[in-house]
Amino acid sequence: MRAYILRRLAQSVLVVWAVTSIMFFMFRVMPADPTAMLLERGLTEEARQALLQEWGLTGTLWDQYVAYLGNILTGDFGSSFLYRKPVWEVLTPLIINTLWIAVPGLLLGAALGAVIGTAVGWAERGGKLERSGIFLATVIRGVPNFVIGIALLTIFSSTLSWFPGFGMGDPGATTGFARYMTLDFLHHLALPLIAVIIYFMPENLLLMRSGVVENRTEDYIELIRAKGVPQRRVAWHAARNSMLPLITWLFPALAETIAGIVVIEIVFSWPGVGRELVLAVTRQDYPVAQAAFFLLAVMIVLANLAADLVYGKLDPRVVYK
Amino acid sequence: MNDIQNPAASAAIQGRSPWRAAWDSLRLMMQDSFAVAGVAILILFVVTALAAPLLAPFDPFKAMMTETGRLARLRPPSGEYLLGTTAFGNDVLSQFLHGFRVALLVGLVAAVAVGFISTVFGVLAGYFGGWIDDVLMRITDVALSIPTLPFSIVAVALLGPSIENIILVITILFWRNGARIIRSAVLTERERVYVKWARAAGASHFHIIMRHILPNIVRVIFLWVTMSVAFAILTEASLSFLGLGDPTVISWGQMLNTAFSSGNLRTAWWWVVPPSLALVMLVSALYLIGRAYEEQTNPRLRRR
Repeated sequence: MRAYILRRLAQSVLVVWAVTSIMFFMFRVMPADPTAMLLERGLTEEARQALLQEWGLTGTLWDQYVAYLGNILTGDFGSSFLYRKPVWEVLTPLIINTLWIAVPGLLLGAALGAVIGTAVGWAERGGKLERSGIFLATVIRGVPNFVIGIALLTIFSSTLSWFPGFGMGDPGATTGFARYMTLDFLHHLALPLIAVIIYFMPENLLLMRSGVVENRTEDYIELIRAKGVPQRRVAWHAARNSMLPLITWLFPALAETIAGIVVIEIVFSWPGVGRELVLAVTRQDYPVAQAAFFLLAVMIVLANLAADLVYGKLDPRVVYK
Repeated sequence: MNDIQNPAASAAIQGRSPWRAAWDSLRLMMQDSFAVAGVAILILFVVTALAAPLLAPFDPFKAMMTETGRLARLRPPSGEYLLGTTAFGNDVLSQFLHGFRVALLVGLVAAVAVGFISTVFGVLAGYFGGWIDDVLMRITDVALSIPTLPFSIVAVALLGPSIENIILVITILFWRNGARIIRSAVLTERERVYVKWARAAGASHFHIIMRHILPNIVRVIFLWVTMSVAFAILTEASLSFLGLGDPTVISWGQMLNTAFSSGNLRTAWWWVVPPSLALVMLVSALYLIGRAYEEQTNPRLRRR
């Protein structure tokens, strides 16, 4: 077990290194003027040279690569061109904002999907409930997340005026950590959160349904049924065994959520990492774009690692090698 | 191989034609009523895309003018402009119809590119194993840690927003999952008795791959290709919605982006509803087809 954890950790470090190298390629080699990503236009030649030196942008590509790795692995992503402060100061509060819609959205979406998925999986094969459940879930899964966002925004914000559709709080609202505890914040949180839930529920539902369908014909279910246990409880037995694939799926999904809610953050002007990434790219604020991308990639690596470890704990059949 | 006299053994070694297997899989898919609905929508969309230049009443980029020489902005649907006009005076119907072409072009190229690359890598790695397999697995380990949408955003922004670059980025992103799925399907097929028989009877690797492995994994390939078409269309739409679309073509994502960024979401429903609805229909149709293949690949899901 310990050897397995160590091996997975080493593997994760390797993956982070590889992602960093891909980033070097993307941000340094791919653009026509690689220095553009770290140096603002319109600097004097002297200031430019000094900064080039400082950033390790001189010398061969190999020297640059080594300097680049050094900077990133020490967490030094430079300063934002726009905000004129270190990248981390810009991004840290945004990470929390993103997690605020990502984590509850995913958990609620998964829970809701699991419950409905069990009902659909347990329903009569070929019956009305099964067919309409599958059809609706498949169609909703096909709705792009910005269309979900636009629909929610138009209906509940513009037309009915039930919820605000912009940002995280009204102007002049409390700042700092206290702001997360206000009703105003929750009011603003509602729509983006619902959008994430709708976006993630169908896939959970279908996964859960497949699991329950596979399990319902197993002998152990037959045995429980034969004991005279009520239907609902029998379904629960099948559901419990179908949750394993759901849980393995949940962690990578969290990572993909964080990436995928970029679009939802944009629609609702929610100040998260994803929205900042898009804004940074369009403003050519490359240090911020690079750090945001790195952050999202590391989150995926960690989520995958967590999924592998948790899966082994939950399923005794998994043997660590 | 010619000296095999027993016809049964000879037939077993002959295997099946991959084309025949593909055709069978297609027919099996068409027995699923949801999938048939998906195929019908797909055909309707392809026909519309092909006929778009004939159907579109105006040039999608042309700004419409009123008789008094002013820009015909945000006109609701009327006899003149069937789906109204945008905030910039463009005819919504013409833009909408041209959007079919972009969506299906992206889907088609992604299907061919992703399908081909995934199959080649997946089959090579799964069948031969060894270093090819090691390299593929290490590459996909890394590739699976790349957040898809953020990667496309950065890559398209750095490469320049054009339809070619968007397709390139989509291909780079989505071959990896496909290759892994196809590889594991090949791994199970490789261990089957008839493959060993065929090998023992002196069949070449090429023969075994073409007539024993491919016919049995064709469902998996179809499933993956259908899903990658859906992902490709969604990715292009998302990028365009975020303002990273090709400025020289009109896509549905871009129409929504313009409506959103010009602040007309609420009022100009005629501008927002058609592209949204078309995207939902197209992607859902693909998912409905994909679901039928999923049931084929997992027999435990089939009704007994």
